Amino acid sequence: MDDVPDRSGAGMVAVPVAGPAAITVDRVTKVFDGGDRSVTALEDVSFEVPRGGFVSLIGPSGCGKSTLLRLVAGLLPASGGEIAVGGIAPREARRKRQFGIVFQQPILFDWRTVAQNVGLPMELLGRSRAEIDARVTELLGLVGLADFADHRPWELSGGMQQRVSIARALTLAPPYLLMDEPFGALDMITRDRMADELLRIWSEEIDTTVLFITHSIPEAVLLSDRVVVLSARPGRVAATVEIDLPRPRSAEVRETPEFFALESELRRQLLAAEQA
Amino acid sequence: MGGRSRRAATIAATLLLVLGVWYPLAGLMDASGDELASSKLPYPHSVVRPVLENPGTLFDAAWATLSTALLGFVVGGAIGIVLSVVMAQARWIEAATLPYLLLAQMMPLIALVPLIRSIVKSDSLTRLLMAAFVTFFIVTLSALRGLKDYAPAADELFRAYDIGRLKRLRHLRFPSAMPYIFSGLKLAAPLSLVGAIVVELMNARSGLGFLMLSALTFGPAQAPMLWAAMLVTLAMGLALSRAVGIAERLLTPWQMRFRGEGGR
Repeated sequence: MDDVPDRSGAGMVAVPVAGPAAITVDRVTKVFDGGDRSVTALEDVSFEVPRGGFVSLIGPSGCGKSTLLRLVAGLLPASGGEIAVGGIAPREARRKRQFGIVFQQPILFDWRTVAQNVGLPMELLGRSRAEIDARVTELLGLVGLADFADHRPWELSGGMQQRVSIARALTLAPPYLLMDEPFGALDMITRDRMADELLRIWSEEIDTTVLFITHSIPEAVLLSDRVVVLSARPGRVAATVEIDLPRPRSAEVRETPEFFALESELRRQLLAAEQA
Repeated sequence: MGGRSRRAATIAATLLLVLGVWYPLAGLMDASGDELASSKLPYPHSVVRPVLENPGTLFDAAWATLSTALLGFVVGGAIGIVLSVVMAQARWIEAATLPYLLLAQMMPLIALVPLIRSIVKSDSLTRLLMAAFVTFFIVTLSALRGLKDYAPAADELFRAYDIGRLKRLRHLRFPSAMPYIFSGLKLAAPLSLVGAIVVELMNARSGLGFLMLSALTFGPAQAPMLWAAMLVTLAMGLALSRAVGIAERLLTPWQMRFRGEGGR
């Protein structure tokens, strides 16, 4: 397990953006073959996610953000270019169970309780019941759902369901957390609260490197160290915006002039990307 | 009004409706001057008489039919589920087997019965096999649909943890297919009875089909027995379907329609 990030800085909350790259995407192209109807989803995309860093991908619909996430997760092969996750190929990293994934839909299983949903990855890998129980209790506490362990997913609100899904993604303490518009299906109020919540969770799981996909400019600014702006199809990197707001951040950072300035910068870049 | 009393009221109303149509029709038949009217469409109360007079005969026949049909239903259901799992493994397997399944189902049951009997040389085994034959087709098709009905992202989630085919089947595809499997079983349960009765009608020494056949051959006086046997068949079919429904509620309480008021 030489891919586990260095824990020497565990007490430190600020994350150096210039740290060694954990995820490297280098001139990646993805073409979906369909004979005459081949679609180029991504073209010459390059960016890096520093170890322990939080990088967001933002872009118009159909810019290939989700495809990019699946390439990084090793769920799809790239058509060209190179992706390295902790120095190895995405598929290898996937085989080593180094990813936690959160999708836009919580994807919880109705035939399992909340606790059983969170423990699923460990159960599938044959971990002991005691080990699973301990980890699940810890995670449900972390996401604030300790009292809902024995509930069924459908008894929870959308925001709570997504918190269960985040807890499940963290079950194996993965070095890499991939999130595909995790708050996209929630209402605005819940969405803001969930972003604050994620900020808190991530500050407690400081080792985790996060690749986050979003449509929301404020969400990207609040959470990220770096935002990669993608252009419309085929997806290309239109701009990279460094978010140098100090950490730890709290919900109040939204009210600062620096936050507004970054928001408008990002909005400008996004607009330019859409018109390109 | 609770769900239980509402259901009881529905059943009572349906029963009244059936009797309300049956009595006038039987009366019309009677008034037509046909001497054999009572054997063609007897009054409901005369159908009840053989049940009261010969409860043993009806019960034995019903048991003979039910026990073999039930065994056939279980065998057919198991074959159907296993077959659907095999078919769902790859598109080419489904493409290669589905046409033969459909062909097999087009075969007239009546023609199949003597053939099977001449091979297995046993009445009850033939009954069992026909009940299984009717069941497996319905269960295979519904289970196959269910095994393909899961969220693609759920499959990606399992693949992200590099989880193999068997575990994906057990933890994702099979549970997702449960509601479909049960709806197939509920449909197949009464039809498995019909499958067994077809065999009995064609030459057997016991069962409801045998009772129907003898009632037909013994002449008009036995007509109420024919009707009684048909009503017993109906009642058993409904009861079987209901039993499968209860099993479904016990085994898959998480289904949307079983959720209480607390569900969203």
